[in-house]
Amino acid sequence: MDDVVVLRLSNHLPDLDRLAEAVEAFGERHGFPRKMIYQVRLVLDELLTNVISYGFSDDKQHEIEVEMRLAGSKLLFRIEDDAAPFDPLQANSPDLTSSVEDRAIGGLGIHLVRKLMDLVRYERREGKNRLFLEKTIS
Amino acid sequence: MELVEKLNGDVAILVLNGRLDSNTSKILEDKVMDILRQGSKKVLMDFQDVDYINSTGLRVLLLALQQLKKNQGRLVLCCIKDYMKEVFEISGYTEIFPIFATQDEAVQGFA
Repeated sequence: MDDVVVLRLSNHLPDLDRLAEAVEAFGERHGFPRKMIYQVRLVLDELLTNVISYGFSDDKQHEIEVEMRLAGSKLLFRIEDDAAPFDPLQANSPDLTSSVEDRAIGGLGIHLVRKLMDLVRYERREGKNRLFLEKTIS
Repeated sequence: MELVEKLNGDVAILVLNGRLDSNTSKILEDKVMDILRQGSKKVLMDFQDVDYINSTGLRVLLLALQQLKKNQGRLVLCCIKDYMKEVFEISGYTEIFPIFATQDEAVQGFA
């Protein structure tokens, strides 16, 4: 049977600690390898940090919903927020081949998300960003 | 994150402990700037007790490397936990940072 955890976070960076704890607990409950737990925590941290830091132009409180689901050998995530439209798949990839001196600072977070997940799908619907992520447990 | 600085000859060793993320990376950034002001040219960061790093932390490492290079300095890393190595690879950092398994090897790497 699927194990599903849904978290509702507010748009404050300290709330990400709760997310990290939930990922750790979920991963340990199912005996995921350390690397997998770390990478999943990292991906969610990068995405949510972006949404909270850049997604809202008002001073109001917003809710961000994160769902984690274990289905067979797949770990599925859904992130839903009412921030400004942002499709991480459209972001430019950072240049990781330039020399140290010329290497740009930034863009790394989204790059890590795309590399560490097996599948990333974005949709904008009813004024909300919805991001679906998938990673096969290994 | 906690940070302990020690000297081994002319190598400034920063032993990091805890998380290197959006909340803590500024501590490391400030420390690196301190070291640069003191004129150190050889910096070693020991990741033995770092259990988490995100892109903000990685960005500080790149900034530190760029600042040191500008001053003819060097930055090497050691003791990165196995489960974090793939992220360093994906970030392209294994190409630009000398990374050693132990602190001793890293210190010798400066010679």
